[in-house]
Amino acid sequence: MAGVSTKEIKNRIRSMESTKQITKAMEMVAASKLRRAQTQVLNSRPYFEILYSTINDIVDSNRDFSSPYLTQRSGNRAAYVVVAGDRGLAGGYNSNILKLCYGEMAGKEASVLPIGKKAVEFFRSRKIPLLSESYTEAEELSVGDCFTIAKQLCKAYRSGEFDEIYVGYTNFVSVLSQTPATLRLLPLLREQTGREGTVQSDIVYEPDSVEVFDAIIPEYLGGIIYGALCESRAAEQAARRTAMDSATQNAEDMIADLSLKFNRARQAAITQEITEIVAGS
Amino acid sequence: MNSFSLKIVTPDGLQFDGQAEELVVRTTSGDMGILAGHISCVAPLGMGQATIITEGKRRYAACIGGMLSVVNGDVTLVPTTFEWSDNIDVERAEASEKRAKTVLSDKSASDTDIRMAEARLKRALIRKNVASHK
Repeated sequence: MAGVSTKEIKNRIRSMESTKQITKAMEMVAASKLRRAQTQVLNSRPYFEILYSTINDIVDSNRDFSSPYLTQRSGNRAAYVVVAGDRGLAGGYNSNILKLCYGEMAGKEASVLPIGKKAVEFFRSRKIPLLSESYTEAEELSVGDCFTIAKQLCKAYRSGEFDEIYVGYTNFVSVLSQTPATLRLLPLLREQTGREGTVQSDIVYEPDSVEVFDAIIPEYLGGIIYGALCESRAAEQAARRTAMDSATQNAEDMIADLSLKFNRARQAAITQEITEIVAGS
Repeated sequence: MNSFSLKIVTPDGLQFDGQAEELVVRTTSGDMGILAGHISCVAPLGMGQATIITEGKRRYAACIGGMLSVVNGDVTLVPTTFEWSDNIDVERAEASEKRAKTVLSDKSASDTDIRMAEARLKRALIRKNVASHK
């Protein structure tokens, strides 16, 4: 135990204790937020799924009209909606999704609509054109905001500003597992669904198919973005909870280790003192 | 009376899942009534009142945006907002109506502000109207 005084060890234990308290508190906050986010995900999933399958049914069964939303363009100007967190200390949550999206953008003329402070900062520092910087609070975003984003993107897409639109988000698989993913929103291509010919095309469109399609697509986009947001929010809290749980665990291990060292050092000091007294008498 | 299966899902969750005898919704091209055995169809929804008759009871709701799809007799309503008449916050709707009216009476308001206020006013009026049906 040479060189390490008991006082020094005591200070380190104290600082570990306060770190542990912070990580413990963060874990508990994340756990309670996770519960709320989880119910939100479960509530919004049927909406998300029905919207997705209905649109795919229409795309699959459509034989008689073409829409700008359905045709692949030759350009490679892509718009990415990237959902990340507002804060760090969530394990690999932010870096996983940001790296995935950044990697996919290579070779494309990409611009980004970042959601969440971390996404804004990441893409700003990499000099990627941002479509908007007003969505820095992923946690505060409402359904209405998602529809505003969707309308804005649809307008830009129709006017030919982009050839493709993607959304990057993190799938909330379970409390222990979250996987980052990207999804192409536009254009909608038939082979993407792989279910061609299973749906008969005797669906009546009111007032007519092109108008229905053009009215539904912005709604669809808004719904999917909202779904992606809900998934990401739950994934963020789950990732933070896990990260803080292991941080607390590590702090406990270190405290146990340091207490052992502290006791040994104390014992050694006492032994030495006794030896000195005995030797002196 | 014959019934059909009806599902109403919004971003906030499943609002209804069961059998219904009749559904009337406001689509972008006007009110549309659905009975059992309706042909497969898809229509975007406008802003308006939805009336649902289930188990002989008539229920009202404010139903705004989204779409209606009937596939092989199964009816799915996917609105952006859907509020049953007994869940509507009338005070909030009235406050929203008042706010929209002040914007509309303001001559210096920009076009976007006016358009947004108009939409807000319309939503508030629908909510109030639906809530009065209880």
